[in-house]
Amino acid sequence: MSKSATDKQALFIKNAFHYFQQFMPLTINEMEGLVKYCEFRKFDRRAIIVKEGEVDVFLNMVVQGMVMKYVKVGKSETILQLATEGHIIHSELSYLTQTPSPVIVQALEPTVVFSISYENMQAALDNFPQGETLGRKILETMYIKKDERKYAWQSKNVRQRFLDYINGHPHMLQRVPQKYLASYLNIKAETFSRLKHLTKQ
Amino acid sequence: MVAKTKTDRAVHHSLTFSMFENLISFLGKFVQLTPEDISTIEDKMVIKEYPKKYLLIEEGDIAQHLYFINKGLIHKYFYKGKEMITTDLVCEGTLTGSINSFLSGNPSHYYLQTLEITHVLSISKEALEELYKQDKKWQRIGRIVITHFLLQQEKKILDDIRYNIRERIVHFAQDFPSILNRVPQRRIASYLNIKPETFTRLKHLITETKKPTGPKKKEKSNE
Repeated sequence: MSKSATDKQALFIKNAFHYFQQFMPLTINEMEGLVKYCEFRKFDRRAIIVKEGEVDVFLNMVVQGMVMKYVKVGKSETILQLATEGHIIHSELSYLTQTPSPVIVQALEPTVVFSISYENMQAALDNFPQGETLGRKILETMYIKKDERKYAWQSKNVRQRFLDYINGHPHMLQRVPQKYLASYLNIKAETFSRLKHLTKQ
Repeated sequence: MVAKTKTDRAVHHSLTFSMFENLISFLGKFVQLTPEDISTIEDKMVIKEYPKKYLLIEEGDIAQHLYFINKGLIHKYFYKGKEMITTDLVCEGTLTGSINSFLSGNPSHYYLQTLEITHVLSISKEALEELYKQDKKWQRIGRIVITHFLLQQEKKILDDIRYNIRERIVHFAQDFPSILNRVPQRRIASYLNIKPETFTRLKHLITETKKPTGPKKKEKSNE
């Protein structure tokens, strides 16, 4: 491996290590133990990570880039999640039950993810001392985030939803095509453009 | 008023057994429980009985308990302005709570109210933490239960998107026949994200679903 590639790998490990601290504190030794069960995977912009109908065998944490999860209903597509650095993304229903995925997972930017396969997850849960706790903490975080999103989606009107999201994630307007953000926030494209002017004032 | 506290298990052993039977079969779907595990659960969980319309949690409270329902029905909701939005309707055999608040320690977005006299087994945050410390087995059970919550949550989010109004009504009638006649229709409509008028217009789908001749429905022995 070239020097720059090794440097990059080291940086990814450092970042992954940093992101894992959001779930539970881990020592360097523990993180090294965990890394053995995981792998880095790279995807080009627009690469499909999980196809509809395919069984998802990976749980991924985004280390660099952006990944979206969406569902197709007839001809329309609804974006369920936009994951950036430090976020977990995969097809939960498929991975956790090992059944065909109802959703599609796709890279929106050139992306590096830190992944654990279903098989390695079972091994880590059995053998990695903090496996059960870490596994639970990850699932708890996923539940909490999903519930916050669902609540925001149900309790706020379109304008509030837009403003809260854009204020909380100001970089996303630059990083994500508008139609994807509009779909994610369940806002019509025309309304989205109109609301965008609000942020410029 | 407030519920009865922990029942004396030595005196009411047979009663206690039946109280824990449902929970044991719920957990038994995920893991094999030994007699010792069962007595551990009996120590950590508290038997309570709440009257109808009892508020277990209000918006802004920090949830301290999860509830396994032995009998009765719990309504989970919040207010959007003056509008009551139902996010869950749960009956016997289900573990529930303001889960986000319970896990995160943040104030609850939701109210949890009994719609009938409700018997629950409740577990506190502290008791759960003790279980997690006690043995890896309980960590495993905890993880599996959270997985179960996550799957339910993800499925509900997805179903509201991928199924149309008619399909949502039919699926609800198929999946929760025991809830249908126990809650006001407006609550079911709200839970399914359907306008009450639309629900009223389409509620014939429920009766059709319940009949053996109904669409996509297996034979039902109780008809």
